Amino acid sequence: MPLLDRSEYYDLIRTTNWTPSYVSEDELYPEEMSGSRGIPMEKWESFDEPYKVAYGEYVATQREKDSGAYSVKAALERANFVDTADPGWISILKAHYGAISVPEYAAMTGEARMARFSKAPGNRNMAVFGMMDETRHGQIQLYFAHEHTRRSRQWDWAHKAMHANEWGALAARHFFDDMMMTRDAIAVSLMLTFAFETGFTNMQFLGLAADAAEAGDHTFANLISSVQTDEARHAQQGGPNLKILIENGRKDEAQKMIDVAFWRSWKLFSVLTGPMMDYYTPLESREQSFKEFMQEWIIGQFERQITDLGLDTPWYWDEFIRALDETHHGMHLGVWYWRPTVWWNPAAGVTPEDRDWLEEKYPGWNDTWGNLWDVIIENLVEGRPELTGPATLPMICNMSNIPIVGTPSNGWNVKDYPLVHNGRLYHFGSEPDRWVFEQDPERYQGHMNFIDRFLAGWIQPMDLMGGLQYMGLAPGEIGDDAHNYEWVSRYTPDVAGTAAG
Amino acid sequence: MALFPLSSNFEGDFVLQLVPVDDEITMDEVAAACAEHSVNRRVRPQPDKVMRVRRHTTGEMFPRDMKVKDAGLMPTETVDVIFADE
Repeated sequence: MPLLDRSEYYDLIRTTNWTPSYVSEDELYPEEMSGSRGIPMEKWESFDEPYKVAYGEYVATQREKDSGAYSVKAALERANFVDTADPGWISILKAHYGAISVPEYAAMTGEARMARFSKAPGNRNMAVFGMMDETRHGQIQLYFAHEHTRRSRQWDWAHKAMHANEWGALAARHFFDDMMMTRDAIAVSLMLTFAFETGFTNMQFLGLAADAAEAGDHTFANLISSVQTDEARHAQQGGPNLKILIENGRKDEAQKMIDVAFWRSWKLFSVLTGPMMDYYTPLESREQSFKEFMQEWIIGQFERQITDLGLDTPWYWDEFIRALDETHHGMHLGVWYWRPTVWWNPAAGVTPEDRDWLEEKYPGWNDTWGNLWDVIIENLVEGRPELTGPATLPMICNMSNIPIVGTPSNGWNVKDYPLVHNGRLYHFGSEPDRWVFEQDPERYQGHMNFIDRFLAGWIQPMDLMGGLQYMGLAPGEIGDDAHNYEWVSRYTPDVAGTAAG
Repeated sequence: MALFPLSSNFEGDFVLQLVPVDDEITMDEVAAACAEHSVNRRVRPQPDKVMRVRRHTTGEMFPRDMKVKDAGLMPTETVDVIFADE
């Protein structure tokens, strides 16, 4: 046990900006890795992390958290929750583990960049713990998914997804590579820890934990709450760096990094978390709608944080709020329609009761999205399943790498945001997506999205089977309707006819 | 005669879709090719209307008998396919 209280020694041990004598400061902290933006070393020493921890107490706390999560898992294994849970909930678990587990390891690299190259000693200290956090998150989420691989190969995508060219995995990798793998230490602290973790992982981990508890999945609820308590700590590295940037005349650069990272995070969550919360989670277990979670966590909390720190809300804020009624419904319909191309089984989530709920949460849903689902339901009821699956590919945004969607039917507003750059035609799903590209075209211009790869002949044969093969989706892994279309029986031919008007 | 990829923005649908066409075909045939991927899949047919093709960025309506190769489109450019009276 330490003889001194942490507060008595912490400031001293954190003071590690020693004066180098064998190498220059620039050699010790290369600008492309450190990202100090011309702000002198001593200014970074004012970094004061709001959540302080020393190694001994970190280890004790983490051990306790791990013990808790693993104990709950062990105790509930025999209850076979996974074998009896709603298939929509199982799809959430498979999608979550595939999209999140391995990027946790990648996030360790982002933390390591801050731990080694940040000029702020407090940032370096916190990031060491952040590295260990992310390693723990990678390990624990891979381990929790692994026990289920005997149930279905789809569970193996917890590990496989980020090593495959599946389109959703491409989107996640493009995002995470941009935010945390290819940025300097200060940018990582703003874009990963502040914009993504403060803003959005709360949604995935606390919002979903609430749904998990309601659904009776205490193992998952406990696991992701355990992860989020780490996030809540290491997400606070961005705030003090933001303060230093603003105090030293770098507000515009900071604002741009936040604006880029926030929009990119939103788009990823619109395809990952939106469908989970509003369609996959069984109706009786839904705590709030995706939009309500977003309003609480993002508009309520994140907006206040950025303005308290002296930043402005992103320039596209009105468009972001508008899109809360739109984007994830399109992503859900797209994922369900192109269901063979994902590693989980999408739940349609459109029984009559589901639709009442959607209409209540998103007034006008039946007059827009519902009209398209009516045609799909009719095809299923009347024995034309071949019309309810893919015959071509959706156009993919060259920034978010997810389909370009808009509101259909009576609210039809689908729009492409094209840009010709160096003779190549790029497509974007929104004005902010195009704006992100325009901020740094050299950074993004070479990337080939799934459509670019298809048209370049990388995918052979050029059909669905060739596409699935390219994505690494083998039989037994490709997605299909989560409930094996049982929900369609709720629509007798009469009911479908009525719904069709 | 060459394969020409277009992005189809079909009226009433929710997503842009890749539709490769032959550059010798007419705009009416483009509309029909795009309809294959939307009508009766998610969008109801409108048999009393004709389907017309227009340039997405300007709204310029293409003549129905214009060939793809004469329209000045870039590969993968988005076209709207809309229901019209004539």
